[in-house]
Order: sequence, then structure tokens, then C-alpha cells
Amino acid sequence: MSNNNKKWFSLNLGRKEKAASGSCSCGKTSGGCGGASNSHHITDEEFDVAAINASIGEERTKDGFEQVFDVKMDRRTAFKKLTASLLIGAGAVSTSCSVISSDENKEKSQIDWEEQFKGNYKLMTDEEKNGTVDRLVRSYQLRTGKTISMSSKNAEEDVLFGYAFNISKCKGYMDCVNACVEENNQDRNSQMQYIRIHEMKDGKGFNFNEADDNYYHEVPAEGHFYMGTQCFHCDNPPCVEVCPVQATWREDDGLVVVDYDWCVGCRYCMAACPYDGRRFNWSKPEVPEAEINHNQHYLGNRMRKKGVMEKCTFCVQRSRAGKNPACVEACPTGARIFGNLLDPDSTIRWVLENKKVFRLKEDLGTEPKFWYFMD
Amino acid sequence: MRRLRVFGSLVKDSLDTITHGSKRYHLWMALLTFVMLFGMYCYSIQLEHGLSVTGMTDRVSWGLYISNFTFLVGVAAAAVMLVMPTYVLKDIDFKQAVLIGEGLAVAALIMCLAFVVADMGGPSVLWHMIPGIGVFNFPNSMLTWDVLVLNGYLFLNITIPLYILFRHYQGKEANPKVYIPGAILSVFWAVGIHLVTAFLYQGLQARPFWNNALLGPRFLASAFAAGPALIILVLAIIRNFTEFKIQDKTIKKIAMVVTVAAQINLIMLISELFKEFYAPTHHSESAYYLFFGLDGKDALLPWIWTAIPLNVLATVLLTFHKLRNNFKVLFFCCFILFIAIWIEKGFGLIVPGFIPGPYGKIAEYTPTGIEIGVTLGIWALGAFVFTILAKTAIGIELGTLKYKKNEGI
Amino acid sequence: MKSNINMMGKIVCFSFFLLAFFSCKHHENEYHSITDKIEAESKNYHGTSISSEAYIGEIETIEITEGEHTFLIPERKSQIKSYACTECHSKPLEKMQRKAIKKAHWDIKMDHANANTMNCVTCHNPDHMDDLKSLTGNTIDFNTSYNLCNQCHTKQFEDWKGGAHGKRIGGWAPPRASMTCVNCHNPHKPHFESRWPARFNTQKVKERE
Ligand code: SF4
Ligand code: SF4
Repeated sequence: MSNNNKKWFSLNLGRKEKAASGSCSCGKTSGGCGGASNSHHITDEEFDVAAINASIGEERTKDGFEQVFDVKMDRRTAFKKLTASLLIGAGAVSTSCSVISSDENKEKSQIDWEEQFKGNYKLMTDEEKNGTVDRLVRSYQLRTGKTISMSSKNAEEDVLFGYAFNISKCKGYMDCVNACVEENNQDRNSQMQYIRIHEMKDGKGFNFNEADDNYYHEVPAEGHFYMGTQCFHCDNPPCVEVCPVQATWREDDGLVVVDYDWCVGCRYCMAACPYDGRRFNWSKPEVPEAEINHNQHYLGNRMRKKGVMEKCTFCVQRSRAGKNPACVEACPTGARIFGNLLDPDSTIRWVLENKKVFRLKEDLGTEPKFWYFMD
Repeated sequence: MRRLRVFGSLVKDSLDTITHGSKRYHLWMALLTFVMLFGMYCYSIQLEHGLSVTGMTDRVSWGLYISNFTFLVGVAAAAVMLVMPTYVLKDIDFKQAVLIGEGLAVAALIMCLAFVVADMGGPSVLWHMIPGIGVFNFPNSMLTWDVLVLNGYLFLNITIPLYILFRHYQGKEANPKVYIPGAILSVFWAVGIHLVTAFLYQGLQARPFWNNALLGPRFLASAFAAGPALIILVLAIIRNFTEFKIQDKTIKKIAMVVTVAAQINLIMLISELFKEFYAPTHHSESAYYLFFGLDGKDALLPWIWTAIPLNVLATVLLTFHKLRNNFKVLFFCCFILFIAIWIEKGFGLIVPGFIPGPYGKIAEYTPTGIEIGVTLGIWALGAFVFTILAKTAIGIELGTLKYKKNEGI
Repeated sequence: MKSNINMMGKIVCFSFFLLAFFSCKHHENEYHSITDKIEAESKNYHGTSISSEAYIGEIETIEITEGEHTFLIPERKSQIKSYACTECHSKPLEKMQRKAIKKAHWDIKMDHANANTMNCVTCHNPDHMDDLKSLTGNTIDFNTSYNLCNQCHTKQFEDWKGGAHGKRIGGWAPPRASMTCVNCHNPHKPHFESRWPARFNTQKVKERE
């Protein structure tokens, strides 16, 4: 955070602490080298932690990382920790307390603190992006003992992602929905799904009113066809325009993404989206530990918290690495086509130029980058 | 230094007044406190479990909170109907009423902000919205405009009365050169806050029910009916329970404002209904849902069919001078008009905007108990704030609250 | 007093217009539509550093060129369990049929067009089983079996070459590797089976009650 002309405000408390503990003469950067003077040193830091706990208190334990990372930390443990650190702060307990656990707690709290007051991802330098990603990975490790890989890969030049959907091919299997939920760590409790498959009657045109997007019978059903919708990654996205804090924006490769840590949860974007592209975490999202996809991207499928908006990102963690989004890969019929719109030789370009393509609600001027076509 | 001392004494004196009063007053404040505490308890549950404890879903993502917010912006804006004639046109009639009106505006604005905060998914990161500290998406997002104008309006409505009261407190006349520019500004501002709030919805091409050019003007008309109606009711109460003199003439003038606004509002309603139902398009479905129900889903019918007759009845009654000048009828009309517009511009505006959803799916919305609890709590907060403000203002205006020069602090 | 009010009014109006002017959207590079934008921006397309090569993985591929399209398809022969066919079909079919040896391929039921149009030897070469044959009797390699399909399914073939039909292997990034016909369709029974959807959302039902 050496950058002076930052566009947001940050408290540098965490940094200072780090510098202070780094200056400890014994060389261990993570505190606790055992001497009397050092136990005093820990005292200061622990006191800070306690102060933080006290000042943000309940709110932090609820909206912070405990709940993001699905670690049960009830109020009693939180309270215990608080009192423990207060005790240390008062100097009542100095050497008797386990150094390792206090170290970890300290680090956790420091990460929480820095994360609570970090800036908007969109405005971060690459260095800061790496910083926050490292913190999140470390935090996850501290809390669950497991490692994840989280990327902060930026948009590549000369890439603009586009998507095409073949209505005559889709058979309504919903394999894409399954793959999406698993890939993107969506809340299992509320059964959040980005993709909807609408079962439409032949001969009625694209009549969404009479379509069923929650069918459960053998498919394809006689006399019906299927049409999938999700976020269309509009090139002129109304959802981005309305966000009061720029927590959602259009990346240079055309992906419309959300910074889950910056979103204040006003749901204005949801009201502004004409395509039902956004999903809100009404309660704390939960994914069983065994089902968590550990290959994550900061803007993509990392764990969310309650009260924030999320949406399809064309699987940014996959697409920026050159893979197809999970839905494209899962579709057994080849109804879904994904690619780089700027590459004249790409398959998506061939589809746009040679098939009769159309988009939904084109009259709204949102310029979705999601085209439909038929054989 | 002297000013500071006077101000300190003002604060002390007003604290004194608001803690002393009749038994009824204490009972009233205790009731409000109780409801507020109840609301806070409900809000703590919402904080704990997230917004899933409300009736809102991905389909209907704004509900009771935003409905009340929208309505209250209108109430706040209506204070201007009293400010303009008094300060600018020097119409002496409104002089007493105006302080009450501005107090009402302040209370309404505080409620607005409370509703917005209650509606947020992440209140702990609300600092992201503070210009300078966070990132403020100005001028693109209408919500940032709204934050600006609401807070600006709150500032204006606090400073102007404060200045006047401050002077009166010391037994001096307020200098019109100081407060008139502010008053004129607040006139424009009041129109601004309501237009901007209308634009919040009007600018969404995704929601055809809102995306119509009449929304802004209709907001204004209904605000200038509902707001002064509330002021009349409040003045009536104050007249009854305190010695504060409010002349019949004043109330009659405000009643005139209410009447004209209600008439205009009705005309716009007719125009809107004509557009939706004469040549119904795909975009009229929300209106169909609101007035007749869609696919057997009709949760809003009882509400809207209460609101429309009340609205029409009140407007018709108010239109006749004889009836309007009868205070019993007037108060009744104001009351039903207030209720009608609360329904029409709260529930009746916000919820059908989301129904049917972008792909024609209908999920109905019913507020939960917790949501209602928080809402009641915020209304109690508003009433509480207003009572405090009004009590102090009345005290000063009546001269019972006066700066004593020799009082040492 | 009056002029004071007029002044104020003017100032407010002026600042309003100023504000309105500055809040207009100033988008640089405005294109009329996304298609115009794509066209304009892809004019100086230099390629990207992203490659999907790593994801093609173990699959052995061969490069084909059809018309103006050059891309990879999976190698087929090594995937066929009983290839090479001549390991059993040591003699032409006719001769083998007469012998009293165990029947082979009895489990294959043709469900592809009708019996008037197709039978085994429409595609398989009875004289040389290691290859396929076209309608006119020309030899077609098992690896490029799409040449067999495109005799009738010309439209699908066009779409497949361009990328509108079929699936990509690996990812969207170059090099392009696409599945070939037989990777998705069983040539003896090419249609997709009907089955139950992969999941059912009970929460959605509750929401819409
Ligand atoms: S589909 Fe909706 S959420 Fe997605 S970019 Fe467009 S407006 Fe935004
Ligand atoms: S919900 Fe989040 S992303 Fe959407 S508009 Fe509000 S702050 Fe922005």
C-alpha cells in the first residue's frame, strides 16, 4: 500500500503491527521468541486485537471470515477469544498461554482487520490484488487447515468473451446447471443456480410466461424445446451503471463481475438487470467442505458471505485460463459455444457470422454478449 | 465563545423540556421507546440470519423497507409546501406551521435513512458508500444522487429551523438575509429529492412498470398530497394538546394544497390506468397483477382496492369547499388520503415492479413478522425524533424556553 | 428582496444545468452496436498468449483441414477396442459368413435411417474391414469417419467445420480441437437418449407457491 494516490481510504494499522513484529531482534517474524520483553511486545498486539474485537464486535464475527469460510464460531468461542486476548492484554497471562495458538489467532484477526478495511478490487494495483488474495488463502488455511488456490489473473488483451446457445440442440438435461453449482461453490441451502433452462411449447414462440423453468420429468418432452438463460454479460450493462459503490463492473474482456467484499448488498443491480442474471445471498451461503471447488478466482467462485450479490462470471477462474466455462464443458449436446469474439478465426465468430443469431430483449440497448441460434 | 455558551444552554434546556411533560406525554414516549426496542430486537435477528428472515427473494428483491423509504421521501419533500409561502412569499399564515413541517421533514428523512440501512445486506461495509472514504459511483448511479440529495436536504432542514430557533431562543428576530437563500434552495431541493427518488426506479429499463415518464411527476403530486395531509393531522394534534396557537386559516391553506395535489394525482392515475388498460401490451402485466391479479396470484388486490376508493373518496370530499372547511371531514379526508397514498406509493409501486419477473415468473411477496417489526420500530423512531423536535420548537416559540443571560455554565 | 430571489433562482438553475451536463455519460470508443465494436476491435487482433493446449491432455489428436478450416480431432483408431478389424476379419465378409464360426457384433442393432437407406455395408467395407467406404466405394479412414457422415448430413457438416455443431475439447483458446461425429453420436444409433434432468430445485417451488 505504498501507493499514495489511492482512491479509497485504508487504515494502516495492520501494516504497522507487522513492521513492529518484524523488528523483533530474535528474527522470528511471527512473534513469540520467548523473552520477557517480547511477551510484553505480544501484549501490545493482543491488546490491539482485543480492541478491534471490541469495537467491531458482533458485527465482525458475523460478517467476517468465520462465516465466509464456513467455520462454526459461535458467540461463546468468540467471547472466549475476546476475553483471552483481553487477559493477555492486561498482562495477566504471559507465558503460560500457548504461543502457537495465540500466533494464529493474532494472524487471523489481523487478516480480518485488513480485509474489513481493504479497498475496491477494481481500483487495486496488481500488488494489492496479490496481497488480498494471499490473505484470503492464508485465512482459509488457518481456519480449515486446507489449502486453496486463488487466482487474481487480470483480463488478457485482445480478448472479449462471447457465448452462443443453440436452441435446437438443447435437450433440457440440466447438466450445465449441475456443473455450474459445483464449479462455482453456490449456496446449497437456498439451491442457488445461475442458469435457468426454460421448457417452451412448440408453436408458441419464445413465450417465457408459459415456459416452465423448473420441470422434472423425462426430457426432452414431446412438443417442447429448451432455452437456457443466465447472466448475458451485457456490453452496456445496466446493473453496473446503477451500483452505488462500483462493486460490480465490466472487465476489459467483457466479463461483468462483482467484488463480493465491496458490495453493500443494496440489490439495486438486481432490480436493474432485465435478464434475471443476478443472485443474492439472503442468508449465509453454505457449501459442504468436501464439495468445495478449491480452484478459485477472486472475482469468481471464491467463497461468498451473506448479504452480497453474485452472478455468473463465465467461470472467470476457468475462462481466463483458456478453458471453457463449466456449463459449456458439461453440456452433452454441444448446444453451448464459448469463445473470443475478437479472434476472427474463433468458432464463436463463425457462429455469429454464419448462423441466424438473435439476443433477448435487444430493444433495451444492453448489448448482451449471449446469442441464440438454431440449426 | 458566547454563541457556544448559548448553544450549550439551548441543548441543556431542550433536554430539560423533553424529559418533562404530562403523564400522557411520558406514556407516549415510553410506548415509542418500547416499539423501538422491539424493532431493534427484530433487526438484530435480521443481522444474525441475513435478509432471509424477510419475505424478500430473488424475484421480489425490494419489499416493505424500500416501499416505506419511497413514501417517506415524499413526506419529507412536502415540507417545502410550507416553506415556500412562509419564507419566500412572506405569507405570515404559515409561520407557525413551518417549523412543525420542517421537523416532520427531519424525522421523515431520518426514517428514510434508517430504512435504507435496514435494507442493506452488509451494513458493516456501508462506509464503502461514503464519498471520499469509499467509492462513490457518482453521477452514474441514481442511488448516489439520492444519498447526496437526501443528506443535503436533511442538512438544510436542520440548519434553517435551528438558526431561527436559536435566534428566538435569545429573544432576537432571525435575519431573513441569512435564512432566505437557504429556504429558496430547499424549495428546489425538495423537488429534487423526490424527482431523484423517482428516477431511481424510472431509469430501469428492466422494469416496464416503473420505466415510464409519468413516475416522477406522479411522485411529486402524491407527495404534495400525503405530506401536507400528515402535517394537518399533526397540527391538529398539537393544537389539541399544547398551547401552541395554530390558526384555522393556516390549516385551511394547507388543506388547499392537499386538495390541488390530490386532484392532480388522481388525473395522473387515470392517465396511467388508461395507458395500461386501453391497449394492454406485454408491459402492462405488472399493472394487471396489481389491479386484477395474474395467474391466480392476487396478494396485492385487497391493498390496492382499499387505496383507490379511499383516494377517490378523499379527493372528491376535499374538492367541495363546504366539506373541506368542516374540520372533522378534513381530518378524516387527510387520514384516508395518507393511508391511500402510503399503500399506492409503497407496496403498490414497489412490489408489482418485480412481478412478473424478467422471464414472466411470479413469486409473490408477503412481509414477515420480523420485517414488520423493524418497520414499526423505524416509524416509532421517526415519531420519537419528531416529538422531541416539536416539543423543543414549541417551547421556544411559546417563549417558555428562553436563554437566561446570567445563567452560568 | 425580489432581485435577490431572482438571483438565487438563476444560480440554482445554472448549477443544475452544469451538473446535468457533467453527468452525461462520456463513453469513449462509442460504437453503434456490439457487432460494430467486435468488427472494429478485431481488425488489429494480434492473438493472445492463452492456450488450451494443456487441457487437451492425454487425448491423441490429428490435424485435419476441411475447406478453410484447419483443426484437431481426436484420433479414433486407437480408441476402437477391436481394431484392427482384420485381426478377426482375415477374409472378406462373404467367405467368413459361410463358415460355422461364432457370430460377431450380434449386439449391434442398427437405428440409423431405415433399412432401405442403410445397412452395415453402407459404411463398412466388406472386402477390407480396416477401412470404411463411401457410397461410391471409395476408401475412408476410420480416423476421418466424418467424411462418411457428411455424405448425407451436409448441413451438420458445414456447421461442424465452422464450430456451430459439436463440442470443443480442452477450452476456447487456440489451438482448436473439436470432437468428431462419433465422439458424441453412436453411428449405429446416433440420436440422444431421453432421460431425467440432472436436478430439481425444490426451493424454487416453495418460492412460487
Ligand atoms: S445480464 Fe443482467 S447481470 Fe448480466 S450483465 Fe446484463 S444486466 Fe448485468
Ligand atoms: S447489491 Fe452490491 S453489486 Fe449490486 S448494486 Fe448493490 S452494492 Fe452494487
